[in-house]
Amino acid sequence: MHIQYLHWNAAHGWRGANALREPAQLVLYFGCRDRLAGGERYRELRGLYPDSHIVGCSTGGQIHGDDIADDEVVAVALCFARTQVRLVDEPIESREVSRDCGARLARQAMAEDLAGLFVLSDGLSVNGGELLAGITEVLGPDVPVTGGLAGDGTQFEQTLVGADGEPLPNRVAAIGFYGASFRFAHGCAGGWDVFGPRRKVTKSEGPVVVELDGEPPLDLYTRYLGEEEAAAMPGSGLAFPLRIHDEAEPDRQIVRSVFAVDRSAGTLTFAADIPEGCTAQLMRANFDSLAAGAGEAGRQARSALADEIEGDKLAILVSCTGRRRVMGQRTQDELDAVAAELGDDVVRIGFYSYGEIAPPAATGRCELHNQTMTVTMIAEAAP
Amino acid sequence: MHRLLARQIRQSTDETGQVDLTRLGELVSAAYEESDSDRRRTDRAIKLMIEELERTHKRAEQDLLRAREFLDSIIENIPIAVFAKDAKDSRYVLLNRAGEEYYGMPREEMLGKTPEQIFPRDIARLVSEQDRRVVDSGTPMFLEGHLLEVGVNGHDRLVNSRKLLVRDGNGAPQYLVGVIEDVTERITNEARISHLAHHDALTDLPNRSAFNAALDERLERAQEASTSFAVLSLDLDRFKEVNDVFGHPVGDMLMRAAADRLAAEADGAFVARIGGDEFMILMPNDIRREDALALAERLVEVIGKELEVDDYLSQVGVSVGIAVYPDDGVDAVTLLANADSALYRAKREGRGRVCFFESEMDQELRDRRLLQHDLRQALEQNQLLVYFQPQARMNGEVIGFEALLRWNHPTRGFVPPDQFIPLAEENGLIIQIGEWVLREACREAASWPRPLQVAVNLSPVQFQAGDLERSIHQILLETGLAPTRLEVEITEGVLIGDFTRALNLLRRLKALGIRIAMDDFGTGYSSLSYLQSFPFDKIKIDRSFISNLEVTPQSAEIVRAVLSLAHALNIPVVAEGVETEAQRAFLEREACEEMQGYLVGRPDLIERYLDLIGVAVERRLYA
Repeated sequence: MHIQYLHWNAAHGWRGANALREPAQLVLYFGCRDRLAGGERYRELRGLYPDSHIVGCSTGGQIHGDDIADDEVVAVALCFARTQVRLVDEPIESREVSRDCGARLARQAMAEDLAGLFVLSDGLSVNGGELLAGITEVLGPDVPVTGGLAGDGTQFEQTLVGADGEPLPNRVAAIGFYGASFRFAHGCAGGWDVFGPRRKVTKSEGPVVVELDGEPPLDLYTRYLGEEEAAAMPGSGLAFPLRIHDEAEPDRQIVRSVFAVDRSAGTLTFAADIPEGCTAQLMRANFDSLAAGAGEAGRQARSALADEIEGDKLAILVSCTGRRRVMGQRTQDELDAVAAELGDDVVRIGFYSYGEIAPPAATGRCELHNQTMTVTMIAEAAP
Repeated sequence: MHRLLARQIRQSTDETGQVDLTRLGELVSAAYEESDSDRRRTDRAIKLMIEELERTHKRAEQDLLRAREFLDSIIENIPIAVFAKDAKDSRYVLLNRAGEEYYGMPREEMLGKTPEQIFPRDIARLVSEQDRRVVDSGTPMFLEGHLLEVGVNGHDRLVNSRKLLVRDGNGAPQYLVGVIEDVTERITNEARISHLAHHDALTDLPNRSAFNAALDERLERAQEASTSFAVLSLDLDRFKEVNDVFGHPVGDMLMRAAADRLAAEADGAFVARIGGDEFMILMPNDIRREDALALAERLVEVIGKELEVDDYLSQVGVSVGIAVYPDDGVDAVTLLANADSALYRAKREGRGRVCFFESEMDQELRDRRLLQHDLRQALEQNQLLVYFQPQARMNGEVIGFEALLRWNHPTRGFVPPDQFIPLAEENGLIIQIGEWVLREACREAASWPRPLQVAVNLSPVQFQAGDLERSIHQILLETGLAPTRLEVEITEGVLIGDFTRALNLLRRLKALGIRIAMDDFGTGYSSLSYLQSFPFDKIKIDRSFISNLEVTPQSAEIVRAVLSLAHALNIPVVAEGVETEAQRAFLEREACEEMQGYLVGRPDLIERYLDLIGVAVERRLYA
């Protein structure tokens, strides 16, 4: 596999390095909503790569190498030697049909030699948990699925996904990688700690928590954030994700962060369903623990890529917008931690998302996460 | 240099290596801002968390307290003595209210003390030994229904007590927990219930089920040891009458007194009351027939003695049937049935008798059933006949006839009335038969040229059931017989039982113009109160006195007394069973009004007496 790295800024337009000798099968790109909307960046890339699948999404910040950028657009063009790539996409009208949408995508991508699926989904109008359930229902537990939900900074207004076309809202894309040479490794970790008493979800409707211990959850968050910071909900609420304890599966680590607020009802909407009657506990983190968590994700991915690799190695880092929000200028620390684990020979690209997709080390079952760093490594094994 | 500051300097440095200080200042300032806000958020979260945890803790403490109070109040109020001791030295650490009552001392005197400091030395040693055993073995102790060893409630209480070891988290003995439950009432209740299940409530003698169990057991033993034993079946005579005349309270007292006498005289034999006025006695093994007979006769004698019950002097008798194992049966059913057959025979032969079972009794009993069966068909198949026996003044002038029922059985010939009438009374057939006799007698009498009297016997059963008044009225209308020509004869059995009902019925019959005669006077109770309570039209002296007139002087005296009593009350008397001229002469001398008997004429078909009823023979025969 060979990788060409590119980035775009307002001053210089697209710039790239190490032009590929062969045509790329796949171009991945990430940028903030303002830069991607309208499809200008896509059309420029299409000009550069007329025969490639071009897939991208809006973000809460792009990762390239050691840096984080908000105004630039980052991209990689991938040229595989023995791997086939197929792009599938589906519109999604509402959260309620997420499972069906996932199943349809998976059926299109399904093949005997499917070695990995990378998913980019709308981040606001999708029930991520259901989408993943639909996908794994069709593919079974053995095909690794990673990816992320598109972001919109801390605005939570609209997210875009583009699949061989102009990036649009209400869209889900999946890239299928096929062939025995393809290597797909992943890692996933958080670095958050629970604190405070355990609370009961006394009333919930799907992903909307109506009551926590009998009180509107917004009241709890307002207390913990202070009036001033609470005004910046749902963005500020990312500082306190919820750890959900499922009595049926005590080993399952479920972390959910707020991504919508109904101030009149005092309810909060989370990225996936939170069952009524379950126990929830607030979580918090400090800069060091988050950075250490990211490093753990890098270590898992790197150690999973055991074979001798031919050509370049790509690491796609999908981290949570909430982490960036908490870490501020220290966000760089988590990228440094991942880089230290992966080593110098890995090209790193990625974005800050509204939800991360990867199988956690504990269960191996593909799931939607919040507040984690996930690292997906793509490479081809030596023949 | 801090990593962040290095990064900030790098970000503020342009391509020429020039550091933009304003930019650097902004970055550093923002980083401070971020740190401050993170610290504020953290501080706030920690403070809130502590508050929340404190509240949770307080709530948990309150819950714990409530739970403790709840458990305390349950342990305190549970009506079983509960205690706990330190497993090391048996020092009491807990005692509830029931425990205080059990030990008879307030808990302050027990808590913190060892058994040695509380109880007398021997009891303390016993308690401590039990404690050690439980602690050392780890197995619970359970003592059931033992007498109190300690406690001031005295030694008349029975308790269940258990002690068990409670271990601490490391498995080391920590407490001995004990409960002591007073089960005195329960045990006595259980005993009482068991007694009730096997004893008769009135007499406290074993009941039928207890008797059956005893008999089964006896049979088993007798079969193993090849011994013999006797079963006595007893029935009190005239008890029902006493009950009817004096009422149930007196009947009950009499029954108890009789049962006491039976039990006292039975000499260790198993006496059971199996219902009503029936008893069974199971005599010991290896009994000779003479012994069984001796016991039975002794029982007849003692029961026959007058009993004084609640100021009433009452006399009942007892009849006894005896069956002997193995001669009269080798199983319970046969033995009991045969003892009953013997009893039936004893009663039939006159009360106050003892009979052994004889095999022909079995036959007799079956025969009786058969007869009862045949009787049902007798009426339909015209096997019943009405005979007439003339009644006359002392000068021989016939003034009427008594209608008498006869049964001409197709294979047995004439069955004596004293055999089949009780059978008909037993199954209620007497009501139909009685009505038939009445109708036949009335129709016959109505056809006579001479307006002679016709007397018809009525059974007590007819008085108790059915609408006798309506049916008599109906028959008189049907046959056209003048009511004044009809006389009904009743025995005192009619008046025993529902006296008032019977009396009312008699009054209504009399109001129709029917005459009422008191039959069989002088036998039974012959209570003079009957004569006082109803104006009988006639008294019939029982034949037994007349036939003995020439044999025993007492009979003559009785007849004289009855006659003078009747004359005093202005009631005419008929003497029954007059067979000789001497008897007639005596009765005439004593001013007896009427007579009936062979001297006047035997009971027979009315055709024998056509001349007496005023029908020319030829006319009757050829009409």
